[in-house]
Amino acid sequence: MIAIPVARIIARFVVFADLTGEDLLDPDVAVEMMEVLGAQLEALEKGFLRELVDAFAVIAAEYSGEAQEVVRNIAHSFYLEEALAADDPVRLAELEALRDARD
Amino acid sequence: MVQISGSSERNAFSRWLRTGKVPSARGPDGLELKFNPWHDPADGRFTFAGAGRREGSSEAHAPSARNDRAPSAGNRDTSRTSTPPKAEVPRARPLAGNDRKSVERRSAKAQSTRIPGLRPDDQPNPVAEFVGGVGQGLYDVGEETVAGVRAALTTNPVTTVRDAGRGIASMIDTAIAAEDTPARVQISCAADAATNASARDIGRATGSVAGNVALAVAPGAALSKVSALRSLRIARPRTTYDPPQIGWVKETLKPDEPWTAYNDSATGARPGQAPTLMRTMPDGSKRPVKFDGRQGEYVIDRKWGVRDAPHARAQLLRQSQVLAQHRLIGTWEVPTPVQRAKAVKLLKKMKVTNIKVRVIKP
Repeated sequence: MIAIPVARIIARFVVFADLTGEDLLDPDVAVEMMEVLGAQLEALEKGFLRELVDAFAVIAAEYSGEAQEVVRNIAHSFYLEEALAADDPVRLAELEALRDARD
Repeated sequence: MVQISGSSERNAFSRWLRTGKVPSARGPDGLELKFNPWHDPADGRFTFAGAGRREGSSEAHAPSARNDRAPSAGNRDTSRTSTPPKAEVPRARPLAGNDRKSVERRSAKAQSTRIPGLRPDDQPNPVAEFVGGVGQGLYDVGEETVAGVRAALTTNPVTTVRDAGRGIASMIDTAIAAEDTPARVQISCAADAATNASARDIGRATGSVAGNVALAVAPGAALSKVSALRSLRIARPRTTYDPPQIGWVKETLKPDEPWTAYNDSATGARPGQAPTLMRTMPDGSKRPVKFDGRQGEYVIDRKWGVRDAPHARAQLLRQSQVLAQHRLIGTWEVPTPVQRAKAVKLLKKMKVTNIKVRVIKP
């Protein structure tokens, strides 16, 4: 399973960008890098992206506290489930309803 | 009643001719003294001019248009342009509108006190009285209008054209707005008192109503345009602000990536640099907020992808705040409608209204 180590690399990168203070990392630069990362993840092959999404839920247990929450929410914050269901309007509607309910 | 010698009368009349003013007569206690020659013979009480009997040094006089306009030597408050002398008793009920000089002042009640057995030579000519009354009513309306315009032009502390126009418009609007009520009241009162009112009273009411209607209807279009100047009252001078100080910082993205090219192609962007606005923090310190371009009052931030995460939401709030501080509007430019839908939803969720979203294809 190559997805697990790749998910760890991505997770470490996301945790760094999201949790580093403004004094060390420009917040606008961090957001911009995350936007680029999200676009690259959406561009991945759907099967591998599916494995990655499932891997994030697995490796989240390796983190604690706020970092664990960040890793667990990677798929949600990058709209990865929506990217996987891009051709399924019913699934998209369901995901939208779940997102609204979560907010 | 004040008895004044013939010499005093002549002096007062001469002074009135020269100055238009008559000095007030004062009693020993300093109180102002007035003279009203009109009395009701039945009970001796004062009446309005033209009602009852006129008493004086000579025989009783019939009321006429002339003695209505000309000052009496004893009437100390009368000027050449003033209205007929006001009766003291009985006091007329005030009108609902602005026209205090309407026929009601010589109300039906006052007219009802007229003695039926008055001598025929005391009765005025009805036709002459009616014509005189019409003229007087028109005169009153015109006088009020001219006086109002003059006051607006001469008494305003700031004599700019705008303020003058505002004063004129206010006065004319008041006249137009009051036109209905006085006319209705006057007609109603005239109808009630028709049986008792004199020909002069009816003529005056007719003239007053005709004058008000002519003032409101005939030049209506022009007046409405002048009246529109009243809207200037709520117009405030637009505050001018200094243009926002745009700073530029170096961007660290790899230059040959598609998202880098997308960001650099924003309107007003500089390759390898990002425009920034300085955000004033609550403690007074300033921190830059990055964007990608600027077009007029719109600051552009291009987003290759939209993310719904705490950092992204914080950036959204930072941008909204700095835009509000600089009185600017933000625009997010995204590459696809899917990203636009995400952005719109995120903005709505965060209740940000000064950032718009549009699709700009790479």
